[in-house]
Amino acid sequence: MDKHLRELLAGYVDGELSDEERQEFEAALVTDPELRRELDEFKKLKEVTGLMTYADLPEEVWENYWHSLYRKLERGFGWIFLSLGAIILLFFGGLTALYEIYIDPEVTLWVKAGLATLILGVVTLLVSFIRERLFAYNRERYREVKR
Amino acid sequence: MDIKKEKETMETDISLVMDIKTGNKQALGRLVERHKKLAYQIALGLVGNRDDAFDISQEAFLRVYRSAKTYDESQPFLPWFYRIVVNLSRTWLKRRTRQRKRMVDVDDNAYLLVDTHDPEQDLIKAEMISCLNRALLELPFEDREIVMLQHFRGMSYDEIAGILNIPRGTVMSRLYYARKKLAKLMERSNNG
Repeated sequence: MDKHLRELLAGYVDGELSDEERQEFEAALVTDPELRRELDEFKKLKEVTGLMTYADLPEEVWENYWHSLYRKLERGFGWIFLSLGAIILLFFGGLTALYEIYIDPEVTLWVKAGLATLILGVVTLLVSFIRERLFAYNRERYREVKR
Repeated sequence: MDIKKEKETMETDISLVMDIKTGNKQALGRLVERHKKLAYQIALGLVGNRDDAFDISQEAFLRVYRSAKTYDESQPFLPWFYRIVVNLSRTWLKRRTRQRKRMVDVDDNAYLLVDTHDPEQDLIKAEMISCLNRALLELPFEDREIVMLQHFRGMSYDEIAGILNIPRGTVMSRLYYARKKLAKLMERSNNG
C-alpha cells in the first residue's frame, strides 16, 4: 500500500478527510481487499479504545492537589537556598581550611601531599562528570523540543 | 482538546501565565485548578501508572512556574503545556528503563477503565482492557503518544500537528503505523 493511501486510511477512520479525499479512498477500497481488511482492523481498534477511559484519582487527592503542589514549590526554593549556602560555605570554608593547613609548619609534608592528591582526585572526577554531562546533552535527541 | 474551548480560555490561560511570570503564585493556583486533571490524564496515558502520573502532573506545573519567562504569549498555552507533560513523561520512562523497570508497576493494572455500564459484557470488556493495557505499554513512546492524543484525548489532526510540531500528513502516517503496531500487539496479547 502506498504512503498516500495509508494516510487516507488513518484520516478515513477518524473522519478527517475532505469529500474529495473520502471519495478517492472509497474508490480504492472497492478494488483493494487488503485495504478493506486494514480498515476493519482500525475500526475495531477505535471501537475498543472508545469504550475506555482513564482511571481517575479519589476526590480528596484532587482537593489537596494544590496544597501538595504548593509545598513542593516552597521546598524547591528551600533546597535552592540550602544548596547555594552549602556551596558558598564549603568553597570558602574549604579554601580557608586549606590555607591554614598549608601554612601550618606543624602539619607534616605527608599530610599536605595526601591532601593535595585528594583535591586533585576530586577535581579530576568533577571535570570528568561535567564533560560526560555535556557530551550527553549534545547528543540528546529531544534537546531541540521547545517546552 | 476542544478548539472552541481553547479559544475561549486562551486569553485567560495566557494572562495567568503572564501573572506567573511576575512570581504570582495565586495565578499558578488558578491555572492548576483549570488543568490539573488534563495534565494527570496525559501523563497517565503515557506512563501507565497513577502515582507517577500524579507526580509528573505536579512537576509539569512547577516547570510552568519556573519556565514561565520562556513562554511565548503569542502562542496558545495548551500545546506548550502538553509538550512539558510529554517531555517529563518521556524523561520518566527513560529513567525507568535505566533502572530496568520499563514496565509499569504490576499493581497498577487498572489505569484504563471501561466507560460504559453494561454488566452482561463485563467479562469480555475486562479481557479487552487487559489486552489494551498491555499492548499500549509495549508500544514505543512516539506511537503511544499519538494514540493517546487521538484516541483518548479526541484531538483533531490539526491540534496534534500543532502539539507535536509535525505536518498533518505526518500525523496521518504516524497514526497508521501506531495503529498497526497496536493491533498486532493486542492480537499477540489476546493469543498469549
